Amino acid sequence: MKDGKFLTLGIETSCDETAASVVADGRFVMSNVISSQIDIHTAYGGVVPEIASRKHLEKINEVIGKALDDAGVTAEDLDLIGVTYGPGLVGALLIGVAAAKAMAYACDKPLIGVNHMHGHIAANYLEHHELEPPFMALIVSGGHTEIVNVPGYNKCEKLGGTRDDAAGEAFDKIARVIGLGYPGGPKIDRAAKEGDASAIAFKRVYLEQGSLDFSFSGLKTQALNYLNQERQAGRDINVNDVAANFQEAVVEVIADKAVDAAERYRQKRIVMAGGVASNSRLRELIGEKAGEKGIDVLKPSPVFCTDNGAMIASAAYYAYKSGERPALDLDAVPGLEF
Amino acid sequence: MMNILALETTGKYGSAAVISGEGKVFSAVSAEEMNHLKGMIDLVDEAIKSAGIAKSGLTHVAASVGPGSFTGIRIGVTTARVMAQMLGLPCVGVSSLEGMAYGVLDDAVSAGALYVVPLINARRHQTYAAVYEAQFTSDLENRSLSSVMEEKQYMIEDLLEALSAKLAEHDGAKIFFTGDGIDAYAEIIEGTLPEGSFIYAPEEIRYQLAAPVAEIALRKAQAGQTVDYSELMPEYMRLAEAEQRLKAGTLSDRIRKPVQ
Repeated sequence: MKDGKFLTLGIETSCDETAASVVADGRFVMSNVISSQIDIHTAYGGVVPEIASRKHLEKINEVIGKALDDAGVTAEDLDLIGVTYGPGLVGALLIGVAAAKAMAYACDKPLIGVNHMHGHIAANYLEHHELEPPFMALIVSGGHTEIVNVPGYNKCEKLGGTRDDAAGEAFDKIARVIGLGYPGGPKIDRAAKEGDASAIAFKRVYLEQGSLDFSFSGLKTQALNYLNQERQAGRDINVNDVAANFQEAVVEVIADKAVDAAERYRQKRIVMAGGVASNSRLRELIGEKAGEKGIDVLKPSPVFCTDNGAMIASAAYYAYKSGERPALDLDAVPGLEF
Repeated sequence: MMNILALETTGKYGSAAVISGEGKVFSAVSAEEMNHLKGMIDLVDEAIKSAGIAKSGLTHVAASVGPGSFTGIRIGVTTARVMAQMLGLPCVGVSSLEGMAYGVLDDAVSAGALYVVPLINARRHQTYAAVYEAQFTSDLENRSLSSVMEEKQYMIEDLLEALSAKLAEHDGAKIFFTGDGIDAYAEIIEGTLPEGSFIYAPEEIRYQLAAPVAEIALRKAQAGQTVDYSELMPEYMRLAEAEQRLKAGTLSDRIRKPVQ
């Protein structure tokens, strides 16, 4: 407690960002430190788990220390520590979990393990201070493409998810193939702005009637076939056009299904989360489609779309307030479900 | 008054120990294999409580920094670093191999062994190992280890060849092996070294334990060999596989080359 505010430290190390943040009353970000390893992994064309784990260890103390300093608080002032315990890379997760446990034990603070995906949804509470459940959540990231009904702070009901590649993963793969490199999402987004989104007719994959699931591997195959065919015909490949059309085929299906889910569950709001929620075309398209149906779309700003500690602090705060009690025998659960 | 907390999580069973300035050791050992992350804080708390002190009574945090299981190393080192940061204490880094050798020193001396060789299974005929000479006074009161072959990654065959040469130099000398490398390479050891020239550590003391790590940490702390938590680093003894391939230029073409 400081100045009457309940202070939560959130720690996040599930993939390639080492992050920590202090959040007041579950909503107000006092500090948000993110140390990204992206430059290191770029040389390998993607995140290398063993290297990610090593770098997390080297950074974690400094990131926690800076989060406290930036917020102008000490570990003593904290009321709660929250940490991502899954899903994610096991070697990466365990650095955050080991650090959080050591800190909770050394400082006599309660510790709550947070589901990374709940964290992504909670990112919206940090900027939309009036937002309360219920709402429909759309989580799109390098590892996830999920539509989740959120009836309460600590209730998440998964309605659909990807059957193969996640949206961000599909972007990464295509970006690599057309030579844009890693990370694919932002690079595709940028290239697509220069391309003609009606130049190539990639088929949209909606799966069975009414399904809220996704599949992007067929689209990837379509794109690879297109590239081969063009090369064999000796035609130049317009990278920007490929990026624009691939992106359009991905985000149109996502936007349609998210709006469909909100309508079916009579939710007046769609809340976006995850790294791919920063995709400018997805933001635009879902805004248009939801607007036609009178549904509001809330989006966190890009800094809260990527992995961060603040969203973990917020989710930990609401879990703690709902009566979840801490345990110092927390383990990392790489395949944690919703 | 010194009270050092030592963690050892580089092997199969996690453990924690507290050693007082006079060398009294209180330790807690996990009964479950590879339960390091889940069980770490319970072990720490048990060791501190059995030493009859509070967390605030600790003066140093020590950890076995490897070599060993990469995951295990990270759990111990991260826990030690963060505890030291939060409690404002200096750290002591201890080699897992030295801890293993120290943990069997009494047995090795009693068995009349000249060399103590901790072996950690690093798979595919590789082992993290070191060779120490056991030194002791004639009354056996003071015992210590001196390094004769540095700790690093050896092919088991190369290590055994070097040990054979040492045995040839010292008539009747014996080697005392410890560590899970025995379980992995017993057949190769027995096929290479003359019968009667080596002894295996009994299973109860064969694997990494926090108690000898604490004893080494006490000596290092008394000698002023402490580091800031930010300098307590793992000793993996091996690059990540992707780093090795990047250096060797054999990283997958799929990653390096675009289609065009």
